[in-house]
Amino acid sequence: MTKKNHEICDPIHTFIRLNSEERRVVDSRPLQRLRNINQLALTYLVYPGATHKRFDHSLGVMELAGRVFDVVTNQANLHEQLRDIIPEKDELKKWRHILRIAALCHDIGHLPFSHSAENELFKKENHEDITVKIIQNDFMKELWDSIKLDSDDIVKLAVKPDKIPNIKLNNWEALLSEIIIGNVFGVDRMDYLLRDSYYTGVVSGKFDHYRLIDTIRILPKQYEGSDEPALGVEEGGLRCAEGLLLARYFMFSQVYFHPIRRIYDLHLRDFLRLMFSRGYPVEIDEYLKITDNEILVEIFNALRNNKDRRHKEANKILNRKHYKLLDSITLDDQKKKTDALNVIFGEASKRFGEDNLKRDEEEKGGGAEDFPVLTRTGRIVSSVSHSNVLREIPFAQAKYIFASREIINDAKKWLEKNREELLKDNNKSIH
Amino acid sequence: MDKFKRSAIILSLIEKLEARESFCGETHIQKGVYFLQELVSVDSGFGFILYKHGPFSFDLSDELRAMRANKFLSLVPTPPYGACLMQEDMSNNLRNDYSEFLSGYDRQIEFVVEEIGNKGVVYLEKLSTALYVTKERQDDNVESRGTYMHTLKPHITVLEAHKFLKIVDDLLIASNNI
Repeated sequence: MTKKNHEICDPIHTFIRLNSEERRVVDSRPLQRLRNINQLALTYLVYPGATHKRFDHSLGVMELAGRVFDVVTNQANLHEQLRDIIPEKDELKKWRHILRIAALCHDIGHLPFSHSAENELFKKENHEDITVKIIQNDFMKELWDSIKLDSDDIVKLAVKPDKIPNIKLNNWEALLSEIIIGNVFGVDRMDYLLRDSYYTGVVSGKFDHYRLIDTIRILPKQYEGSDEPALGVEEGGLRCAEGLLLARYFMFSQVYFHPIRRIYDLHLRDFLRLMFSRGYPVEIDEYLKITDNEILVEIFNALRNNKDRRHKEANKILNRKHYKLLDSITLDDQKKKTDALNVIFGEASKRFGEDNLKRDEEEKGGGAEDFPVLTRTGRIVSSVSHSNVLREIPFAQAKYIFASREIINDAKKWLEKNREELLKDNNKSIH
Repeated sequence: MDKFKRSAIILSLIEKLEARESFCGETHIQKGVYFLQELVSVDSGFGFILYKHGPFSFDLSDELRAMRANKFLSLVPTPPYGACLMQEDMSNNLRNDYSEFLSGYDRQIEFVVEEIGNKGVVYLEKLSTALYVTKERQDDNVESRGTYMHTLKPHITVLEAHKFLKIVDDLLIASNNI
């Protein structure tokens, strides 16, 4: 007899369970391509264990999406005011299927080495546009037809709604989308935090996702005077939600914003820009042919050939000749000069030449989130009102300036002498 | 518009809402920026889609998070209501830096604050959805737009939709004088 249910061993979730239809999607070419795309790009050059792939993560997101769906649609867990939002039994089953497939496919448009070079390589697109194109491609459409799914439904849940032209989500679809991509309880985030923590060995990225998922509820944001349904938690799970948001802060500050990881991203970006100087192929058949493996071969080839115009970039990556950290801008610096990063970078560039310097800026890793909490007495309150810990979770920031090894010592001396002066005079009016 | 200019406009909007002692949660800012873009042509470049509370911009939501990270804003609990976004010390620096730039938008921001200040989230959802529908179906009359609005947001009755569409029509006329 043909087996209808399958299990895949996974170090984060023990088993990923899937049915034969889901397995056909896993076996499709776009999903299999993710076996050769590193989840964290070149982070393994800093954290050697971080060699896990987008494929593993995609399976994990599917597994968690199913678990959250089962909890929040369980009759016993439904809030009186929102019972109408849950579809009837058969419809509910169909949406569970769509949700899991959408979760599985949410990353299929990723470039090699994930996010590293997206802005530079694409002219108009981003990886979400490509995800939409792949899901709606003819060869995938055949697959959707055979398992009786509509590609538009999958697209609605798989990517951020604002990335899909002319889309309108009803409240139910918006909630399902939130299960995958939501800022707080999105399973994409849950899985990558747990998985990245495990593979990098940064233990502080862990949190109690079992308890958290068991306490997630669809709740009306009554405290805003609204019936708007949103994902929230029972009070008993609030500590776990705090754990998740703290884990996010720790992972951003220790891993995602690690300065050496960031500079490798910038060198890789420069290499890819040279490699695809005529534009990156966005025609889907060509797009799917390129993985990290193809790029790595090119990097090694460029290293061996010192006449290759990409040789210098390859040397920085493979021989660890990356630029070094010259400065890291703090909030105190920004108090003195709002645009401190650009001011210091601009002056340093004039002094040492722009080719010898690189700037990096990212600022969204952490902070409190407002979501509904169902208290033990049955009230629905704002998480920020109800948790002292949440209010205090800081943001991690990456505001770095890097310098080449040729100038780093001189640049450090110059910076030490001039830094305070550069950060003066914040009140100058800008026209 | 660069990110500091966008931030300065958002801070100015919040400052004027605070001056009216209006609640200033993310929904108020989302709708405020949407009205600025669609009513009085202060285009910050955010893309809005029709979402749970009406027009919503994920990019603006990210921007507000970045502004909190940069200490321009903080998320402050206001029980029994939700959390509001309040200006932090750093916001003064930015508004001072861009004072001349902001003075060019003062009337537009005042016009929007007049409409959204001290209004509840439910009211703002209906008003902004009415504007969204009107922008999408500019040539349709109130009845036709009302039916469409009800289809998009079934919890808004057709009668309510008519009421808010008429307010939006008046606002669009009034905004021509700004």
